[in-house]
Amino acid sequence: MSRSAFLLATACGLVIAGIVHIATVLAIPRFSEGDAFTRARASETLDHPLRIHGLAGGPPAAGGAWLPNPDPAVSVGVCSYDLDDGPMRVSAQSGSLMLSVSMHSRRGAFYAVTDQAAVRGGLDLVVMTRAQYDEALANDVAGEVTRDVRIIAPARRGFAVVRVIAALPSERAAADAAVQAVSCTIDSPAEPTGDEAGSGKS
Amino acid sequence: MALSSGVGPATGIPGREDVRRDPREDHGSRLRRLARGAASRSSRVGLFVYALTLGGLLGLASADYATSGGYPFGGTSIGSWTAWPRAGSLDTDPYARAVNARRGDIPLAIGEGMLLTAASDDDGRVLDATCTYRLAGVTPPARAWTITVTGRGAPATGQEPVRTGFTSTEILRETDGRFAILLSPEVQAGNWLPMPRPSGPVRLALRLYDTPVAASVGSLDRDSLPAIERTGCGS
Repeated sequence: MSRSAFLLATACGLVIAGIVHIATVLAIPRFSEGDAFTRARASETLDHPLRIHGLAGGPPAAGGAWLPNPDPAVSVGVCSYDLDDGPMRVSAQSGSLMLSVSMHSRRGAFYAVTDQAAVRGGLDLVVMTRAQYDEALANDVAGEVTRDVRIIAPARRGFAVVRVIAALPSERAAADAAVQAVSCTIDSPAEPTGDEAGSGKS
Repeated sequence: MALSSGVGPATGIPGREDVRRDPREDHGSRLRRLARGAASRSSRVGLFVYALTLGGLLGLASADYATSGGYPFGGTSIGSWTAWPRAGSLDTDPYARAVNARRGDIPLAIGEGMLLTAASDDDGRVLDATCTYRLAGVTPPARAWTITVTGRGAPATGQEPVRTGFTSTEILRETDGRFAILLSPEVQAGNWLPMPRPSGPVRLALRLYDTPVAASVGSLDRDSLPAIERTGCGS
């Protein structure tokens, strides 16, 4: 009797182990404090990307330099956003260096684009919620073409990652500067004031 | 007939034993029942605690094991290389997500590029820092790529390596566009990639940027990736 009970308890223990294993693996991203999502929040107050992997040397930015195995030829910056403050606009100028921008939520990347998609040398991405997207569509002036790439984010919070590749060591400083030159701004107040100015003139 | 003759002795013998055992058992069975009750109660609690402890410890330990280090699965192996096209995407598996969260890593998104790793050479031997390897061939179509070598685990202390990787622009090529990288602890002519540490296993990472193959990893085969050939082992 005791032996079969022991075996039964062991079997139950293994089942519990499976449940605990699955629950732990699923909970790690949610409760992790060292993940990119949590660490990128340090960039929320900046209007340019927080450099988390620089190439030209020098001291890393505060709260930066945590990537475990960064590419030694790629300069990386992050911009955190919270769509409650309004849509986030990432504007980049395409230069001689290859640049890519990707949008991440806590669960993973949902959009990525490289500077090959730039229109007239500029790349404008606007991350917004569904409601903000509908509002932007409603505010669009008929017949006017916008060059913004509008992306609907799956979650309210997330971060954008800017990567610039320095193909040669001599381009490293330029790559760092190109990451710094990208702007990440909150888009909301511009639209109503523009409308008011327009209505005041007419 | 056979039944009745069989029943007779069978009922007789237990009956006689019952009668003989009864007076002793009346006393002992109460004690035994009490003892058994207490024992089963405590053993039931013990087994319950045992099952919970076993489950908790095994579950946590296996979850820790599965999410520390690299991605446990989800890659596509092509020769000695393993491609990780969806390590960073929304539809990645929970293990890759947990690994990324623990390491603080930001993997390349599908539209951005793709990571390929190699931990062994073409003969299946683990890449060793004391050996010399020749990486030769072509790479899949990409706007830019980098090959880097890293030691597994904690980085070696001491001086920084001369270089840890090559980009597609800075590499020296043959006239037909092919290239050969020599990964060696000793100085080599041509594209020399020094070993990042004096001994132990190392791994290679090939990052393709702005590549169409990220969306169709199945189209890659052995010949479209650099071969990793061991040419000798020093020391």
